[in-house]
Amino acid sequence: MFSTHVTKDISAYCHGELSNEESKQFAEHLISCAKCRAKFEEVKLGMKLAEQLPQLSAPDYLWRELEPLLDRPNEIQPVRSTSVWSWQMKAVAAAVLLLVAGWGVWLVYNNRANQILAAKRAWRVTRLDGTPTVGAERISKNGELGVGEWLETDANSRAQIDVSSIGNVDIDENTRVRLLETRPTEHRLELARGKMSAHIWAPPRLFFVNTPSAVAADLGCAYTLEVDDQGSSLLRVTSGWVELELENRESIVPAGAACETRPELGPGTPYFEDASSVFRQMLKTVDFDPDANTRSSALVWVLDQARPRDMLTLWHLLARVNGEDRARVYDTMAALSPPPAGVTREGVLSLDQKMLDAWRDSLETTWMGVGKGVPKPIAEAYWKVKNGMSRRLKDMMPK
Amino acid sequence: MAAEQLIDGRVIEACQQGDRAAFQLLFETYKDKVFSIAVYSSGGDRAVAEDVTQQIFLKLFTAIRQFRGDSEFTTWLYRLVVNACLDERRRRRRLLPWGETVAMSNPSEKKPQEKQYARLELAEAVREAIGELKPKFRLPILLKYIEGLSYEEIASVMGCSKGTVASRLNRGHSQLAKRLSHLNNPALWGE
Repeated sequence: MFSTHVTKDISAYCHGELSNEESKQFAEHLISCAKCRAKFEEVKLGMKLAEQLPQLSAPDYLWRELEPLLDRPNEIQPVRSTSVWSWQMKAVAAAVLLLVAGWGVWLVYNNRANQILAAKRAWRVTRLDGTPTVGAERISKNGELGVGEWLETDANSRAQIDVSSIGNVDIDENTRVRLLETRPTEHRLELARGKMSAHIWAPPRLFFVNTPSAVAADLGCAYTLEVDDQGSSLLRVTSGWVELELENRESIVPAGAACETRPELGPGTPYFEDASSVFRQMLKTVDFDPDANTRSSALVWVLDQARPRDMLTLWHLLARVNGEDRARVYDTMAALSPPPAGVTREGVLSLDQKMLDAWRDSLETTWMGVGKGVPKPIAEAYWKVKNGMSRRLKDMMPK
Repeated sequence: MAAEQLIDGRVIEACQQGDRAAFQLLFETYKDKVFSIAVYSSGGDRAVAEDVTQQIFLKLFTAIRQFRGDSEFTTWLYRLVVNACLDERRRRRRLLPWGETVAMSNPSEKKPQEKQYARLELAEAVREAIGELKPKFRLPILLKYIEGLSYEEIASVMGCSKGTVASRLNRGHSQLAKRLSHLNNPALWGE
């Protein structure tokens, strides 16, 4: 079913009409197929637009006009075009009595309907350890996390959340998370403090986590995200890609890399976790130290320690430093991995977006763990196998 | 879904026995959803939609004695709604001069271009685009987004397969996206 394109299943996937296995296979195909991804974006936009359709309110007088006609059901004629005012007058007394009686019953049922609606927009929560809570309710085995509700764990409790049909999130001890939104085109959590591990098999940008200092947008991956009491966070990606963003600042973090964030400053520069400790410490200074001279001095250390694999970090730094510092970053990058044809020093230093993107595209294969020059489709396939994204590809590999 | 939970067998039975309060409960429960579909199906003409809504409930009232519970009540109701909307559309087509369609909004009320991307304009633009879709693409979208029906329920209402529903929704979404591609602006969506 999924060996060919999956465009016909896009709406069904987003509406949760596919089985878990079908959803996973769908997502795997989508990640590797540009054509289906483009169609997915189109259908997703259509769905977002359709979600804007408001339910309208019928005018109150409809019942008053309708009610007298119930005694003469054969008179099914357009009501607007007939004079019904006299019938209204005759029916007012009876309608008022009925309204009063019916209103009480309706309120009860309506309240029930609202509860059911709210429950529908909820995620299943499973206790892993201790006694997590949702609002004031203690979760002894399973529970539900509705939109707007907080899930909290203490020092002895952990929980797992099923994210609709697209993955799950493990909630560690001393963590506080809230469900902000769940609909076919967007699932969003807020992590106020603590630590969570997400395993998502959805196409890019369906699952988001808000933290006090950035928004993590899933690009099809697994990762851990930790927020401390000051609102700073640490993202560590174990497979796939995650994008961190705050206003106009964004960092793209691949598997094996990490990125810190700070309130008001947003995401820092991503780095591979196997970088030297000096490199990581100096990078933190470049990202977050308030003194410009200190940042500039730390940048020298970062550039001195950089390996070809650290082009990930250097590429992000290009747009975050100015003047001579940017020129130093460029020169180090060019020495480690010369830019592709058409990308010039002048263009990069003036932050020409096309040139920056072209250079990043040429580097992405190395960020995936394969050498530069390997065709991207092959690199992506390799990367998926390495990161456990495709069982079928894995099965095809020689034992 | 909520509406099914709200109206249980006792309420239906009371309606079948002519209980006016039960029927009012039924009306109050479904009137907004029925009215919404009628508005979106009639090109935004609220007066026509009011007529259609009342006719649907009158038909419901007269036919409810024949409801035997072979299918879900909501399926039965929405079949009435879909048929009434299609009938109304056919009737209005006959009345309108060739080539004329009912505009969703009065052109004189159009907002200036610079406000086109404002959030408040979005819903209006979507309503207009929905009104321009063919009924076979529009009705599944309305049943999904206004009524919250599953694919299986929509299939039952429309008398087609789940696969056809999936396909029509897909095409409906694509057509909406193409018609309103100018609204694909992250700022508009608060992203």
